[in-house]
Amino acid sequence: MKISDCIDAGTEYCPCSLAETGECIMCSQLQGKVFCDCTNWKGVCIYQEYIWNHSQRKENRQVYRCRISAKEAVSPAVTVFTIQVKRTLARELKEPGAYVFLRIPDYPTFFDLPMSIMSADERAGVIKIAVQERGVKTKYLLQREAGRREEQQREEVLLRGPYWNGILGLKYLKSFQKGKALVVVRGIGQAPALPVAKKLLQGGNEVEVLLDRGRIAVDFTGDLFRKMGCRVLEKQLLKREDLTITEETLAYLQDSLLNKGVGLIYGGGSDLLHQGLSRLIQEVERGAFFVCSNNAQLCCGEGICGSCQTRLADGSRVKRCKTQLAALNIYEGR
Amino acid sequence: MARVVIIGGGWAGCAAAITARKAGAEVVVLEKTDLLLGLGNVGGIMRNNGRFTAAEEIIALGAGELLAITDQVTRHKNINFPGHKHAFLYDVTKVEPLVRKKLAEMQVMVELETRAINVQKEGSWLKSIVLANGSAVEGDVFIETTGSTGPMGNCLRYGNGCSMCILRCPSYGPRVSISQRAGVEDLLGQRGDESYGAYSGSCKLAKNSLSKEIVEKLDREGVVIVPVPTEDVNVKKLAYKVCQQYALKEFAENIILLDTGYAKLMTSYYPLAKLREIPGFEFARYDDPYSGGKGNSIRYLSMAPRNNALKVEGLSNLLCAGEKAGLFVGHTEAIATGSLAGHNSVRLYLGMPLLELPRALALGDLIAFANEKIKTPEGLKNRYTFSGGQYFKQMIAQGLYTTDVETVKLRVERIGLTNIFAEKFL
Repeated sequence: MKISDCIDAGTEYCPCSLAETGECIMCSQLQGKVFCDCTNWKGVCIYQEYIWNHSQRKENRQVYRCRISAKEAVSPAVTVFTIQVKRTLARELKEPGAYVFLRIPDYPTFFDLPMSIMSADERAGVIKIAVQERGVKTKYLLQREAGRREEQQREEVLLRGPYWNGILGLKYLKSFQKGKALVVVRGIGQAPALPVAKKLLQGGNEVEVLLDRGRIAVDFTGDLFRKMGCRVLEKQLLKREDLTITEETLAYLQDSLLNKGVGLIYGGGSDLLHQGLSRLIQEVERGAFFVCSNNAQLCCGEGICGSCQTRLADGSRVKRCKTQLAALNIYEGR
Repeated sequence: MARVVIIGGGWAGCAAAITARKAGAEVVVLEKTDLLLGLGNVGGIMRNNGRFTAAEEIIALGAGELLAITDQVTRHKNINFPGHKHAFLYDVTKVEPLVRKKLAEMQVMVELETRAINVQKEGSWLKSIVLANGSAVEGDVFIETTGSTGPMGNCLRYGNGCSMCILRCPSYGPRVSISQRAGVEDLLGQRGDESYGAYSGSCKLAKNSLSKEIVEKLDREGVVIVPVPTEDVNVKKLAYKVCQQYALKEFAENIILLDTGYAKLMTSYYPLAKLREIPGFEFARYDDPYSGGKGNSIRYLSMAPRNNALKVEGLSNLLCAGEKAGLFVGHTEAIATGSLAGHNSVRLYLGMPLLELPRALALGDLIAFANEKIKTPEGLKNRYTFSGGQYFKQMIAQGLYTTDVETVKLRVERIGLTNIFAEKFL
């Protein structure tokens, strides 16, 4: 069955603007139906919160001006930013799937760049984010735009957050215990997989990481995974020509599911990688859970702009910035 | 083997489980909380007015198990209070474990803390009930006894907000209307002013919080009546009440307490500060709903259209009972409709004609009467119970009301339905 929860339901940011406009993802009363039809209860009555908040949304997320304390270029394409944040924020960003919007100070809000958290240290009040040079916004953040003068060194960044929906299938990730899990990552997808592996290890699971350097051509997380206690295998995951999963990797995955008792696969790569993984999991039919990075085009993170809206196989549309879905629901029927 | 899945473990669901089991089905009860009986855990009034006749009819029809339990834990027999005669008050703090034991003896599978949220169906046939954890419970026939109370959003929109009642939605999750999920739109009860829903009609005070004199009188006589200070009499509040049999002037002008293990306060809610001004109530506190000083649960927002055999219209294998089956009030009514739905679940599975109780019995008459009324705008503003209001009048007019047990037995025998609910088909 399709699960579709709102990642923000019951948090301090709920109810949000969607409640004010009758578009709440969870609550029938706030979808204009005026009667309870509460199939996705998360422990809090959103309608009650809304009425008690004088029929208004809660305060929006804040924008913080944060200092960049270090930039480490791990390859020509990838730089790891260390950003100083409040300890509370660091704690809120410790969850797998956490992300923030970064923007250069004094630039307009459409420069907001959604970035996954690679690690968060609540005691030191720092977070790490790996930035790959891709398009306009990443180039500005990396200070690689033309005509930039040396003295304009930017040591600060505007940060909006916390956001949490960077992973689909969080429910499975958080409840999976004492089993075997595969973390399959490629390219920049390595970074947000670190908190995933950490969560799985906390659940008493054995974790094996299949790592493909991908387009960024660098392994900047292998040692970190190993230090946590994961087994790391470097593998070519996708074929160069059509970006489908290589036969060797497919065979390895199949063997893992069928013979080694792997019960959960996390995909941290492109949609093509995730499609391949979800298809394999369905074909093998061993009931393994599929969890993956949320690759939607996130823009506002608040369910307002519509850029992340996706049509599912059953015809329904979901706002992927806020809706927590089983990953298989996204990739079925494609 | 017929597999009957009952959604909701209140009085109606438990009664349905018993008759379905007796008829030979394998029975599963899905209950969202950690207690069976739902609002029955804070009820307690049996056999008042026409409910006496109805209770004896249920026994004569062969489904007396639950009444045997309530009779067994009755604290007071044959008490009278305004508008009501020969009431029995069962001890609400004793009854649930006994019902649970009975169902276990009868090998009914009871799944507690199991919340149903959706259905899977093929055409008009329900295939399974989807649970909040994502799994599905398959069955041949389904009986919805989810009631019509709450959840929080409804209690807020149509009442004074969540008053923290025995259903404990915040802890166990809200009720979901299964028939509505299956595509059959719910009917909604109204109040006099055409707003929707109605308040539950009583609160429970901790007996220990009342004066020694009140407690002693309650223990001795079962009833205590204390006049409300004139300036606090709120007759208007009666119009909001579910239990129109208790919506009498006397109930506004007096505080009426009944001894059900708690001191059952026969009003929807009563501000605590006001209550404590009354002699003997200086230390009063609510045990159900916890916020009885502010409000009470809202009911009647979720009835399924059904025929007189209690099959939900538009669906092939869904029956309903209790408040889900109409604007009924009370445990006797829930047990009556539940027993019929449970019995009919096995008939439905076997393709037999479903049993409609004849109007020569109070049970059959109430079920048919409520169904006629629910189809009229005025009827939606009324409630139907053997114990008072419009239906008790009709019961008397039809000559159905009697407190003579032998007469009831004879009536049931004459129409050939003695022990029909005990009949085993499978």
